[in-house]
Amino acid sequence: MWRPDLYLNRPSILLAWLLSGAGGVCVAAPLGLPPVPVPADNPITEIKVALGEKLFRDPRFSRTGAVSCSTCHEPAKAFTDSPLETSEGVNHLSGTRNAPTLANVAYFKQMFWDGRARDLEDQSRHPFVNPVEMGLADRAPIIALVRTDPDYVRMFREAFSKEPAEIGMQEIMKAIATFERTLLFGDSPFDRWYYSGERGALSEAAQRGFKVFMEDGRCQSCHTIEPAYALFTDNRFHNIGVGIQRVERDLSRIQSAWLTARARGINVDKSVLSSGTSAELGRFVISEALDDIGAFKTPTLRNVAVTPPYMHDGSLQTLREVVDFYDHGGVPDATDPVSDFVSGGIRPLHLTDEQLADLVAFLESLTSPAFAGLATATKGP
Amino acid sequence: MTIDSNRRAFLRHGTAAVAAALLPVTLVDVAQARGVEPFTFAVLSDAHLQQMRGAEFVRSWDRGLRRAIAEVNLLTPAPDFVVFGGDLAHAGRRDELDHGAELLSALRAPVRHVVGEHDYYLDLGNAWSQLFGAQWYSFDHKGVHFIVLNSVLTDAAWMDAYSARPRERMEAVIGLGQAGAPAFQVGDAQRAWLAQDLRVVSKPTPIVVLSHAPLQRLYRGWNFWTEDSDAVHALLRPFDRVTVIYGHVHQLQYSRVGNITFFSAMSTAWPYPYPESYAQAVDVLPTLSIPENRADPFFERDGAGWQFINLASVKTELYYNLYNNPARSVIVNAHGDPEDTTYAAAAGRVPSQQHY
Amino acid sequence: MKTGCRKAILAGVIVATALASPAAAADPFSAEDVAHWQSQFMDVVQTGRALWVDPKLGANNVTCGQCHPNAADTHPETYPKFQKQLGRVVLLWEMINWCLRNPLEGRAMAPDDARLIALQAYMTYERRGTALDPGKH
Repeated sequence: MWRPDLYLNRPSILLAWLLSGAGGVCVAAPLGLPPVPVPADNPITEIKVALGEKLFRDPRFSRTGAVSCSTCHEPAKAFTDSPLETSEGVNHLSGTRNAPTLANVAYFKQMFWDGRARDLEDQSRHPFVNPVEMGLADRAPIIALVRTDPDYVRMFREAFSKEPAEIGMQEIMKAIATFERTLLFGDSPFDRWYYSGERGALSEAAQRGFKVFMEDGRCQSCHTIEPAYALFTDNRFHNIGVGIQRVERDLSRIQSAWLTARARGINVDKSVLSSGTSAELGRFVISEALDDIGAFKTPTLRNVAVTPPYMHDGSLQTLREVVDFYDHGGVPDATDPVSDFVSGGIRPLHLTDEQLADLVAFLESLTSPAFAGLATATKGP
Repeated sequence: MTIDSNRRAFLRHGTAAVAAALLPVTLVDVAQARGVEPFTFAVLSDAHLQQMRGAEFVRSWDRGLRRAIAEVNLLTPAPDFVVFGGDLAHAGRRDELDHGAELLSALRAPVRHVVGEHDYYLDLGNAWSQLFGAQWYSFDHKGVHFIVLNSVLTDAAWMDAYSARPRERMEAVIGLGQAGAPAFQVGDAQRAWLAQDLRVVSKPTPIVVLSHAPLQRLYRGWNFWTEDSDAVHALLRPFDRVTVIYGHVHQLQYSRVGNITFFSAMSTAWPYPYPESYAQAVDVLPTLSIPENRADPFFERDGAGWQFINLASVKTELYYNLYNNPARSVIVNAHGDPEDTTYAAAAGRVPSQQHY
Repeated sequence: MKTGCRKAILAGVIVATALASPAAAADPFSAEDVAHWQSQFMDVVQTGRALWVDPKLGANNVTCGQCHPNAADTHPETYPKFQKQLGRVVLLWEMINWCLRNPLEGRAMAPDDARLIALQAYMTYERRGTALDPGKH
């Protein structure tokens, strides 16, 4: 059931929606975030949001009737399926990716860890037909359902002014994307400290950790914090050393095989979730640029403390493991060799134990009030 | 194999060899082939391996060379050979050259070496020659005549002044813009050798000259300079098609003088600013090139990289693979001028190329 | 030459005396003073130049001059500006410190450190004659 009070920080927005009727609404952002980009051909309306949420939670759009978007992006878990390392779809089939949070997903310029979907609308159509996600053979059952289920018929008519026969994947994608665009979460202790000037909002350790984040930790360049707001992502792709070791020795054959397969029209979405080797090529599967081998999208750090495990493959369990990984220059252990394909932005940091602990404390301050009650991943040395 | 200048069109042919070969290169039309089989070779240059102490070298430059080697080894089909364009070492030390030789041994293709001033001036190329052989030589490959020059020599008087002070001699050339730095040249002896070498080369034979210095007089202040370039050009003038590939400048440059097309090779370590950006520089020859996209120094080696040359009989294409930077492709167009395939039209330029 | 020099100084003294009436006295410096202060400045510029090519400035033997020959591409005329690497608007010396800590893997300097001042003197001197363009990326 649509619970706007759960997802929105400003009552005025809810009021604006209620008053807007069929017109589009400009969604104001929470503290610490900029205005949400909304495409001109898919304005936000209250009914479309409600419809999108209903589709998001509906498990009938899967082969077994048990998997919905919310299976892997559970609202109560900050829109992840923590603590799973890689997500599980129908019959608990495992893919290759850790489910990223959908909190603040609207600020990304490409979707998925490798950016293979160009926007939220495009992203939403893929999991339905991926064998390890919803596992449908094709999208016909989805369309059939929304054209016949009375609740869907009513909501689609109201949201799009269209009769069932006119409803297709376009409307479904738009509704889901619209719902996701409203999942905005800022107003964390960090936001109150940095943007509202609330001195006491951040602990001493977290304040020291902020300094590490901005200076010796070299975090800010990719996980951006700016004077007006903090997206914590540069919307770019970088190889930081995760997963590349699994394929590096055989990389010549793997990338060559990929290029051939792609030239022959292989389905990218299905391949990257089923092939452990193609999955590790990262952004390269789309751009085919050598610079993008093993490169993945910079995720947001908002709510990171409550969304373990970490990285595109869920291979790091705690925040301490994460900062240690960066401290070592892109390897889990300081003695591991660093891959030749790691980005020039990653290098050993030589942080002290105290700096590492402070950095973790800072990361823990990025949790929004809606998720403050969730368990945090603070275990570690 | 059907050749099409459009890479995407190439994809539709779908053979494994085509798909693999498309990795960095657009193959050009060889309909005008004159008996030269198209082939590719890679150029890595200016690694500047810099010893800190003992077995510790500056990490960033090491990683730049390692990455280039790893990426070149991915090319399928493999390039016929790899050229190392000079300045393997930064301070000319034996340890640096040995370290470089060890790293380069991971290359699967055979390597041809060019000497740079950073390799040469500490001991006048002694250690370098022990490792890599002759400082000037020529070889033929699939109908193309390759000439390698030592273009970083200088006049005898300057050399004599430093004959007993090798460290200071090296210091005098180690940085750009230093007072008292010598003008580089090919020199009389080598030009005489070149004249002899060219005597048996026929006019239509494509010639590629591999040099460290630009074989042009670009900017004396930073020694982007070959003092006797006019004399060298004169020797090359009788031939139909000459391509000069040079390192040293650590930036994207390409130009044309008559029958000679010039292409720079990037450094695997770091990019240099364009000489035009130095406010006090006078007599700077403006490059015709569209500048590389400005680097973000947070990403180490942004704007460094390596290159891959497709040498067909008529047209040449040079593909620059830059770290953390969009790749650039320069092709010799119908007028014989090198032209950037992406940014040639002014409307296509991006702020990164203008905010220098 | 000497006569001319003496004449010039004399002229300066006369002018200075003429202006020395209480109503007009401000900052009565002479050409000699200017030359003296200029040479003090140039000394610091020279120090900055020496630091610019000093492998001991950072911790990895890399010098500023390797990436920035003659301080090219440092653009002192564009500060203050939003510096992407620091995520906020900064002054030139803050970016120098970023370079000291990052590409040179060394330590930052205090803003009043004589070395930091010398570096800035050198950089700005190499950029003399260029119009101010504050904020330019």
